[in-house]
Amino acid sequence: MNHAGFIIAVYGVTFGVIIGLAVYTMKQGRNLSRTVADKDKPWT
Amino acid sequence: MNSEAQAIKGVGTPATRMYGLMAIVALGWVLLGGLIFTPEDAVQGDAVRIMYVHVPTAWVAYLAFIVTGVASACWMIGKKHSLGFDRVAGASAEVGVVFMGMTLLSGSLWGRITWGTFWVWDPRLTTTAFMFVTYIGYLAVRGLGGTAQQRARRSSVIALLAVLEIPLVHFSVVMWRSLHQRATVLSPDGDIKMDGLMLFTLLFGVFGFSVLFAWLVSHRQRIMTMQDAQQTSALDAAVTERLKEAQV
Amino acid sequence: MDLTPRTSSDNAPLAPRKRNRKWKYVAMLVVVASAGGFIVSQFLTSAIDFYCNVDEIGHRTGCEANRRLRVQGVVEKDSLKSGAGRTTFVMVFNHQSIDVMYDGDPGGIFQECIPVVAHGRLVGDIFEANRIEVKHSNQYVAANPDRLAQSKAEPCSQQAG
Repeated sequence: MNHAGFIIAVYGVTFGVIIGLAVYTMKQGRNLSRTVADKDKPWT
Repeated sequence: MNSEAQAIKGVGTPATRMYGLMAIVALGWVLLGGLIFTPEDAVQGDAVRIMYVHVPTAWVAYLAFIVTGVASACWMIGKKHSLGFDRVAGASAEVGVVFMGMTLLSGSLWGRITWGTFWVWDPRLTTTAFMFVTYIGYLAVRGLGGTAQQRARRSSVIALLAVLEIPLVHFSVVMWRSLHQRATVLSPDGDIKMDGLMLFTLLFGVFGFSVLFAWLVSHRQRIMTMQDAQQTSALDAAVTERLKEAQV
Repeated sequence: MDLTPRTSSDNAPLAPRKRNRKWKYVAMLVVVASAGGFIVSQFLTSAIDFYCNVDEIGHRTGCEANRRLRVQGVVEKDSLKSGAGRTTFVMVFNHQSIDVMYDGDPGGIFQECIPVVAHGRLVGDIFEANRIEVKHSNQYVAANPDRLAQSKAEPCSQQAG
């Protein structure tokens, strides 16, 4: 593959950021869920 | 369901779990198809593989900023000024800024391979950079403090102005002379000049990233709901504390 | 109004963490406004009139032959010569052509029959470029040896203009 470094960098950064954001979001959601009352979580 | 079990599930619901799974499958194909199964382009060679992530991330950024604009308008027009709309607007802008950043980065690397330069101040890149900083500004305004309704009022005005940048960015390559190529899939003549598997992978990428966007916005607006609830209960506690102090 | 419980009886500063957070966002807004101003200036000075076409040199406002220009045209077939660290080629647009000289290898997907933007000055009849950017079209076609051989046999000047 020509320019493999550039192409893999693009895929690596894109998928890395996506996974990082998804994991951060899930962790933040779980941590907040422990401290917030059920009445303030209308989706439960 | 007990609180600890809900805490483990966090902000997920059966619906979000379903489209989370759909996003994983679609993005798995983008990864495999984009890097391995799709053919090289006759002119660009392997550099065309960057398109399968560059275009969908740009699309999601546009979509996110449109959702921010629509939700802000709903907050503004609605008689109740429901904060749910404001949270969707804020969550969507957060996701949009992240995706716009990825678009600029992937575009820059693609440009280095094809154009021979990482960056050029042409109409498309310049208007995109402007849109990117506008929405960073929008997020900064959201963080300035005050009540949730004050936050919603301030940010909705900015969102409704900023959404006007989207047609400016999209049509910049038509209105002015640009180094950036014109639209392929959303071309005005409706003639898509792209080979079958390339187009399939691109559209699948657009679908996958859009589902991922829905997943992220659902979760992030629920996180904002809990943050707002936390702030309200902290305020209530502070008022109670002060009242006690006054009675002593 | 900040109603965070006081931490000491002698009126210590209220909620310093929250106030710091606010200043962080104010600082962010200052940076955003500066960046926005810079981008707008780039838009007005560079982006709004990014290049002149070959046939517009000396005929269009902003495309005067005695100033630094960005010129767009297609690299004419069989005109590309490289050697001794120098690249020369003929750039064509709308049936007008110009000789271009560039010190170095243009990079990117530079090749014959592709549109390019050359940055530089007109010295006599030669455009001396110090930067070349390659435009690529919005067409994506799978690489195919037969098709490649066929396209190489065809002239490319009809694209120019």
